[in-house]
Amino acid sequence: MQPIDNREPRRHWLPSVLTDIHFWVPVVVLIGGLLLLELIH
Amino acid sequence: MQSVPTPENKTAAETLLRPRKLQVLGILCGFTAGAWLGAAEAPTKLVSVGVSPIVISLIMVTGVFLARWSLPALILGTSSVRADLRRAPHLIIWALLAGCLWAVANTMTIFAIRDIGLSIAFPLWNSNSLLGILWGFVFFNELRQAGWRRWTGVLGGALIMCVGAALLAIASSTQAPAAHSMRGVWAALGAGILWGTMYIPYRKAYLSGMNPLSFVTFFTFGELGMMAALAIGYLGMSRLWHELTSARDVLFWLMLGGFIWVIGDVFQQYAAKYVGISRGIPLSNSNQLWGLLWGIFVFGELHGSGTSTYMQVVGGSLLMMLGVGAIAFSSAAGKEQAHWKQASLRESQRYNIAEDYVAARMQGMQTAGEVRPPRTMWDWLLVAAATGIFVYFGTLARAPRMFFHWGPALLLITATVALLLVCGLTLWRTTRFN
Repeated sequence: MQPIDNREPRRHWLPSVLTDIHFWVPVVVLIGGLLLLELIH
Repeated sequence: MQSVPTPENKTAAETLLRPRKLQVLGILCGFTAGAWLGAAEAPTKLVSVGVSPIVISLIMVTGVFLARWSLPALILGTSSVRADLRRAPHLIIWALLAGCLWAVANTMTIFAIRDIGLSIAFPLWNSNSLLGILWGFVFFNELRQAGWRRWTGVLGGALIMCVGAALLAIASSTQAPAAHSMRGVWAALGAGILWGTMYIPYRKAYLSGMNPLSFVTFFTFGELGMMAALAIGYLGMSRLWHELTSARDVLFWLMLGGFIWVIGDVFQQYAAKYVGISRGIPLSNSNQLWGLLWGIFVFGELHGSGTSTYMQVVGGSLLMMLGVGAIAFSSAAGKEQAHWKQASLRESQRYNIAEDYVAARMQGMQTAGEVRPPRTMWDWLLVAAATGIFVYFGTLARAPRMFFHWGPALLLITATVALLLVCGLTLWRTTRFN
């Protein structure tokens, strides 16, 4: 018999990623890094 | 009255001891990572021809790409990687992001070394460990309620390592600062910030239960994609192709450097998983010490230097070892571990990952009834293809005529391989690479 899954229905992960501060910190640092690289090149 | 040991008591004792065991394992992984990341510098020292630094970086990343697919296929099987991905598909984005951060940081170090020399650049980008401690504390509850003794051990150890790194870099540097000093300082600081921030995706993946071997397979797409874009953007296709074909004699050595680097990075990933980024990064940063051992004893880099240079090397090495020791003896205790669990719970709730799966993986275990998918024909094909590519470039390679001490090289190779065997075996026994 399959165990009953009581978890909430699976929502798409993309909105969770885009509203996560952990995502935006590396994104901002990456953009800053690319700008800096362009500046020093 | 003594209680009779029963299987239940034994299991309870094992559960209590498990966090301590994983902490020791994470510290061992950090040491091993340092040794292998440092050894990765050895093949690149064989390359002294006039190849553009960006091309050198691109070729190394190509070796890294091959290793990042073949090693997980060999150890775990790509079916396990796919299973991990189905549970936490959002982590692809983080892995790609981390790969992009790595590639931009690596390119910046090339500019930093060119403009201000290794002696100033290295300590500046080594500050990534301090940023790692900050992100670990702010985002992932690391060092929360850790007590002043552990805070002093981790933060003090990282600072001492920075000072030791500065001394070693000054001793090993032969370059005088060039005209564009401020540009070089910005490049080195930028690299440190990018590398320090790269550990946010690392930690995020492991708090979500992802296997480090699965994470690196997607990380490498960001790494190779960004590096290829930078190389094409800065050099153009025709110049890039010309440089690649004219450097065919040394492609193998650079790719080998990338391969060895991946072995170190896999252990670094396990260290980030089991001791967190605040402790894992400084431990892995001991690679500078190993790199210097290769440089001095195998390639005779400081041959003919004065006493003050050797004093700097001895002093810097002792400080590095002191820093590593301070961090190693400041492992996370009960209260801090409870905060780690809270951070892990946030991930499982936010991304709808089964809590029992995350909890089991954080303990380096499988969930009850979970069956590891077997290896398939594709895994062996991947391993064979990667081996074939390395063998092909190996046939094109030429050993350069240069100063090379075989005695110390064999000693260092033995020590590095011994660490790999001890750490790999301990990882297998404790976690089965989960």
